Amino acid sequence: MNDDRIERLLRGYGLPETPRALDARVLAHAEMILGRARAKAAAARIAREFANALGFGYVNYVIDLITATDAEYRVDLI
Amino acid sequence: MESDSSGVRLVDRERGANMARGEEAEFTELYRDYCKRLYQYALSLVRNREAAEDAVQDAFLGWVRQRAAGKEPRQAAPYLYASVRNRCLDRLRRRPEVALDEARIELLAAPAGDEERIGLRHGLDRLLLALPEEQREVVVLRTWHDLEFAAIAALQEAPVNTVIARYHYALDKLRKELGAHE
Repeated sequence: MNDDRIERLLRGYGLPETPRALDARVLAHAEMILGRARAKAAAARIAREFANALGFGYVNYVIDLITATDAEYRVDLI
Repeated sequence: MESDSSGVRLVDRERGANMARGEEAEFTELYRDYCKRLYQYALSLVRNREAAEDAVQDAFLGWVRQRAAGKEPRQAAPYLYASVRNRCLDRLRRRPEVALDEARIELLAAPAGDEERIGLRHGLDRLLLALPEEQREVVVLRTWHDLEFAAIAALQEAPVNTVIARYHYALDKLRKELGAHE
């Protein structure tokens, strides 16, 4: 048996299925995290518009100046 | 960069609100695309089902948290692979690798009706799991994940030639062991 045959043999196999409980757990947690982030973003937008309407737009400007960060690539090391 | 009515620069965090629509569907698609591959990859590293599940779950949820915070990694796949790998290696540092005899896992799924592969599956699974960790990782990533040697080398933080050598050593071992069983 040569390397080509071994490679062909191996590539003919598929991947094992993921446990259904894992699928359900990950998708449910992700939905929860995204939902929470949406609610937070919506609340922040309302607060910003309210501050602008009251003439406190400079407060938003200062907050942005302090907290703005560039999106970055990083891997969480635990 | 966008501005609001008062000329204020919008921060990255607000991107979260703009991306919100359909995010769950997009994530589900990402999960479906990568869950099997990452699960097999994690299984091959830790040889333990529960630990592999934890690694996959943490990697995907880490990606979601970064995205929700407006710090989405530029490319999902490299992030997910590196994340699963880091989590598995961390687990192996804390708890030794499961002994081969105790590993009740399957890395391969034989196609229905393929008698040759069905017959060889169990033995091949054992042979793969018995390979040294670095060699096993290269074979899995190269064979079922179609990763280039350069990408595997980046993950393993090893020279490309070393990774290629690991692949060929592993195939050689598999070939000899399978030959002995023929």
